[in-house]
Amino acid sequence: MLTVDGLTVDGLGVRAGDTELVREVSFSIGPGERVGLIGESGSGKSLTALSLMGLLPEGVTATGRATLAGRDLIGVPESRLKRLRGRDLSMVFQEPMTALNPLMRVGAQVAEVMTLHGRGRREARARAVELLERVRLPEPEQLARAYPHQLSGGQRQRVMLAIALANEPALLICDEPTTALDVTVQKRMLDLIAEVAPALLFITHDLAVVAAVCERVLVMYGGRVVESGPIREVFTRPRHRYTEGLLAASRLTPRGTRLPTISGSVPAAGHFPGGCVFGNRCPHADALCETVPALTGEGHAHACRHPAG
Amino acid sequence: MPTHAGTPRAENPGEPLIEARGLSRVYRRPRTSLLRPGAAVHALRDVSLTVGRGERYGIVGESGSGKSTLLRLLCALDRPTAGTIAFDGRPVTGRPERDLRFLRENLQIVFQDPMSSLDPRMRVRDLVAEPLVALGLPVGGRVAELLDAVGLPAGAADRYPHQFSGGQRQRIAIARALAPRPKALVADEPVSALDVSVRGQILNLLADLVDELGLTLVFVSHDLSVVRHVCETVAVMHHGEIVESGPVDEVWAAPAHPYTRALLEAVPTLEDLT
Repeated sequence: MLTVDGLTVDGLGVRAGDTELVREVSFSIGPGERVGLIGESGSGKSLTALSLMGLLPEGVTATGRATLAGRDLIGVPESRLKRLRGRDLSMVFQEPMTALNPLMRVGAQVAEVMTLHGRGRREARARAVELLERVRLPEPEQLARAYPHQLSGGQRQRVMLAIALANEPALLICDEPTTALDVTVQKRMLDLIAEVAPALLFITHDLAVVAAVCERVLVMYGGRVVESGPIREVFTRPRHRYTEGLLAASRLTPRGTRLPTISGSVPAAGHFPGGCVFGNRCPHADALCETVPALTGEGHAHACRHPAG
Repeated sequence: MPTHAGTPRAENPGEPLIEARGLSRVYRRPRTSLLRPGAAVHALRDVSLTVGRGERYGIVGESGSGKSTLLRLLCALDRPTAGTIAFDGRPVTGRPERDLRFLRENLQIVFQDPMSSLDPRMRVRDLVAEPLVALGLPVGGRVAELLDAVGLPAGAADRYPHQFSGGQRQRIAIARALAPRPKALVADEPVSALDVSVRGQILNLLADLVDELGLTLVFVSHDLSVVRHVCETVAVMHHGEIVESGPVDEVWAAPAHPYTRALLEAVPTLEDLT
């Protein structure tokens, strides 16, 4: 797994004190590739992204190795990360209202990320307007002078995207960028992301959204990658029982019929069963599942003792 | 036509339970000038709808379409600027709160976010019993009965909302809504805040309860595919108006209004993959 250009993550772990939150996550994203990271809330997908950005909250630490274009991302001092963040890799968060500064005009916020990385003030300001135009905001000149509260949710999220793209990063991470948006606005935003992203790690809990944007997908549950592979393969022939259950639950059956469900609910962090993390909710679990299954398979990989199909 | 309380549904199915005629609601923005009043926001314009007894009625629309305003009016949590609402043949609009007991007993609501709609400092027992206490009805063994009906263990009664997962909290909210044995249940995006694996559990539960208790359901969602699974009838809202309504399968198969078509096309699906 040696890609010089893209992102390579090898054996990533995240822990808070004695609680293991993410374990042995390995994947790579080549230049131009769009990879989805799906899972329910509490599965560790946002922590994975934050550890790559070096933005883990205090008391939470990451181990393992992650490199972007040959540069280390984990276990390096903040001073080094600061130069990478917003320049080589950047992130679009779920809540544009809390991520944007309410007291600063949006044009200045887009320009700021460029001046921080050494671009001249005037040049940055001019480029900010170009970027706002690139994310298809109407009348970018006037809009650059607006404050976040004057924009709609969709427009704010476009501003976030403009900020993320400002320094032509090698990798864009999007964490549920459209969850707070209406479906018609979401569609335009997804098309835009797919068009402008250099290499993309797209985090969502919505399987249909990931199918619309990505080529490859990683399914996370209980802090582990339980299945990975090309979208079409994983979604049409899921092997892990969790992926199978998730797909079944995502397809709404005709009225009057019962929806397939996964029994129980996602356990709290640190309360996942030993062995297979899905063991306590899986209808196929048996004694074999008490030892951790490894993620095996080339291309389409899964970590399940009793795979489907 | 007025019917006396407790009439079994089977005797008069299809008869209207909720009737709204020509509802409008105008909000005023705070004034920005001393000389002129604040700008008017037309949240609802001339909306009429009829929900039959035992019907599952879906309302679909995006944020700002007026669906929450409509719900607030139907539940008499707000007053319309114009128009009338009748519930079970009795007028709701223009009455003071003390004359709305028939509505409070018979129409209950489940909100979108089960965290903010449950008081974090109340035990589940008190939360579920609250509508009964507020209406002066006997509580008795009703809490245990309700918790059982929504699939929660009896021990849940002594715990606090934060000790439950999102799906379980929504079960508590449903138990609370059902406490006074209402005829109608209004659900405002009840599954939007839930994970997919739990969404099915809550939708199945709602369907079971509506069937068992013969409830009338008003189900609001931004997702037409969820409404199609739950409801027979749908109204599509856009800019404060109902732009299209009818049997959900017909609207789904042949949307007549351009906005409905745009809405259907925008919903990402997994169908193209199979």
